[in-house]
Amino acid sequence: MMRFLRLPKFSRRILIFLAIMGPGIITACADNDAGGITTYSVAGASFGYEMLWGLLLITIALAVVQEMCARMGAVTGKGLSDLIRENFGVRWTMFAMVILLIANLFTIIADFAGIAASGEIFGISRFFFIPLMAGIIWFTVLRGSYKIVERVFLGFCLAQFAYIFSGFMAHPDWSLALRHTVVPSFRMDAHFVLLLIGVIGTTITPWMQFYIQSSIRDKGITVKQYKYERLEVLFGAFLTDFVSFFIIVACAATLFKYGIRIETAKDAAVALGPLAGEFAETLFALGLFGASTLTASIVTLSSSYAICEAFGWENGINKNFREAPIFYGLFTFLILIGAGVVMWPQLSLIVVMLLSQEVNGILLPFILIFMLILINNRRIMGKEVNSTFYNVIAGSVVAALILLTAILIVTSLLPV
Amino acid sequence: MFVSDLIGDPVVDRVQEPVGRVKDIIITLGETFPKVTGLLIKREDNKKEAVLLLAEVDLIGPQFVATKSIKSRIIFTELREGEVLLERDIFDKQIVDVDGARVIRVNDLKLAKVEQEVRLIAADTGLTGLLRRLGMLRLVNWVLKFFGRQAPETLIGWDHVESLKTDFNKGYIAIPHKRTAELHPADIAHIISQVNPDQRKELFTSLSEKTAAESLHELEPMIGAMLLQTIDTKKALGILEKMPVDEVADLLGDLPPERTEEFLRLIRIKKSAEIRKLLKHHDETAGGLMTTEFITLPRSLTVEETINRLRETAPSAETIYYLYVVDETERLVGVLSLRNLIISLPEKRLEEVMIRDCITVTVEMNQRQVAEVISKYNLLAVPVVDGEGRVQGIVTVDDVIDLILPPVSRRKRQMLG
Repeated sequence: MMRFLRLPKFSRRILIFLAIMGPGIITACADNDAGGITTYSVAGASFGYEMLWGLLLITIALAVVQEMCARMGAVTGKGLSDLIRENFGVRWTMFAMVILLIANLFTIIADFAGIAASGEIFGISRFFFIPLMAGIIWFTVLRGSYKIVERVFLGFCLAQFAYIFSGFMAHPDWSLALRHTVVPSFRMDAHFVLLLIGVIGTTITPWMQFYIQSSIRDKGITVKQYKYERLEVLFGAFLTDFVSFFIIVACAATLFKYGIRIETAKDAAVALGPLAGEFAETLFALGLFGASTLTASIVTLSSSYAICEAFGWENGINKNFREAPIFYGLFTFLILIGAGVVMWPQLSLIVVMLLSQEVNGILLPFILIFMLILINNRRIMGKEVNSTFYNVIAGSVVAALILLTAILIVTSLLPV
Repeated sequence: MFVSDLIGDPVVDRVQEPVGRVKDIIITLGETFPKVTGLLIKREDNKKEAVLLLAEVDLIGPQFVATKSIKSRIIFTELREGEVLLERDIFDKQIVDVDGARVIRVNDLKLAKVEQEVRLIAADTGLTGLLRRLGMLRLVNWVLKFFGRQAPETLIGWDHVESLKTDFNKGYIAIPHKRTAELHPADIAHIISQVNPDQRKELFTSLSEKTAAESLHELEPMIGAMLLQTIDTKKALGILEKMPVDEVADLLGDLPPERTEEFLRLIRIKKSAEIRKLLKHHDETAGGLMTTEFITLPRSLTVEETINRLRETAPSAETIYYLYVVDETERLVGVLSLRNLIISLPEKRLEEVMIRDCITVTVEMNQRQVAEVISKYNLLAVPVVDGEGRVQGIVTVDDVIDLILPPVSRRKRQMLG
């Protein structure tokens, strides 16, 4: 209800902001999921503060890219997959959807790995915990209320803020950290390059673009109300990376300092030691569990929606199995694969989580190129087309990722 | 013949010299089955796009297109502003399938020769169209043949398709049904909530005032309020006039105060006074839910007089299944169902046939409690009374049905991806 429209101007503004708040903040929290926490932790543990400069640039890029999607959603009232289908035809849509499906499948696997890892910290076997959580996600999202899922796991995500305090309490070398934030450093070895791709890929992911644009459309946010939404999206981007920054700092000041390599999720929990002491593992597990479950739910649901919309298949959780067989089939398939892969006994959960983000990073440019073409089309966007500044930023992300992938291929092929 | 087969076809002249390739197909809208007027081709000689009018074409088929004259004598024209191209403008666009109230997509388009002309006759919205576009139909059909089956076709005849042209992002939305007004308002509301704001406005303005009024009630309040602001004031007023006062009040309550005031000034004085009264009540109380269009009758009236009076006054009341009987000071003393009234003897007075124990709710009562009362006593409507027992309005079951039903059955799409 918009009763608050009768309130005086200032408080009305705040209320409008709160009412449309949501898509940006949720994406922000889901962004630091299993893959995110792991990638940042490994980045901090392996290279100390060295990747912080990347994070600074990525934050700007993240804000720009998210804003682009939000704007497209507000102007056209359509989802990203709708726009791709309507402007590129079936073949390109097929291509985009295959890319999205692969990237999302990896994300889902990573999130189930995150759930498994958090369970193992509490001493729960993954062979019990994973089927249980897969069942819970399947049931609550499809048959229960998605809103409840969202709120509960958003609550768990608050545990991530512990990194901010832990980052301070670990007494990091601030001057070194700040220097690395502004002065880029680079290494020509495959490990560094791959991790950098992972850091980009985990911060700016393909699924987020589809999710945020659809959320904006579903909230019915129009061009007029858009200025409030823009604030939220920008704030969300900042919030995500604020947490990411401290994950890297906390890991650099603890794990990197003592030369600990992250081999299991337990090792990563050490970074929360300065704050939580013996409870570090519990705190770490809670945050990991919340973010992973939230993201696993969002990504499975949003992939099913995006793909069904692109091909004009019936979709929606308010339809039944008979009405929307492909939608339900896809959702179930994604959960089965995600949970199934993690059930593989010899699988290293950390490796899976890291790998998924690197795959996301390698696939991201394709989706960004689609977005750039769409948002610069006056037939679609009218006067809301991208400014040159936005094009340069988003374009550089594409260029950087393609360049990094090329370097990665070269460095892994050539003997060092 | 399908459009996807035609696009990319080589165009040759009468002596088989290559002229170019088909890029798109131009139609003129207006007729039920739109006529193909030309082909947009990419010319072989200068690699530029040009229009080949259908008058120049001799043969048109899935393998190739042949022109009537030789290459050097073909007259090309330019693409004009406002012409409709099948691939650019209709392919991949949404079709709102009214039968299932769902959104599907144009995967392919079917053309056919009708007498001397080529016309657009159907939209392919099924898997077959999708596979054909991907160039995989033959492969899939070859595999399916081993199981004695074929990929099913889903065609929607173009005569069932109505295009709504919106001024901004030029999306075609088509409705495979002749008149939207024949649909149930709840279905129309469902369709409206499925399409984008531009198309929403277009679809909504195309409805008659009566249908628009009914579907407005079914829409989410936010969407309803937004629609009311985008359409022109005159049309909006016409629609508001057709709605019961409680629904108007709900809707205006969601608008910015300046707009509410503007509408209230333009609505008939009697109606606007009632709306103002309703707007004062908090949204979630009986006062906010109730309508002031109801019937009270003095207890001294006879059954026969009552029936006569109903004939005159009933059309404006929201429900006449319950008649509320009041004393000289307008206090509620009893209730009478339409059934009681009809089966009673004509000369009996109302106070003799009415039921004295009347279930009522207070103006401040929370909407959930109101819903509980209605559901507990199986009522169609419940009177809302003030401190002195005077009837202020009634809450009908349709105003609280959403609160009575379990949450699952009114769950809407909550997120899309």
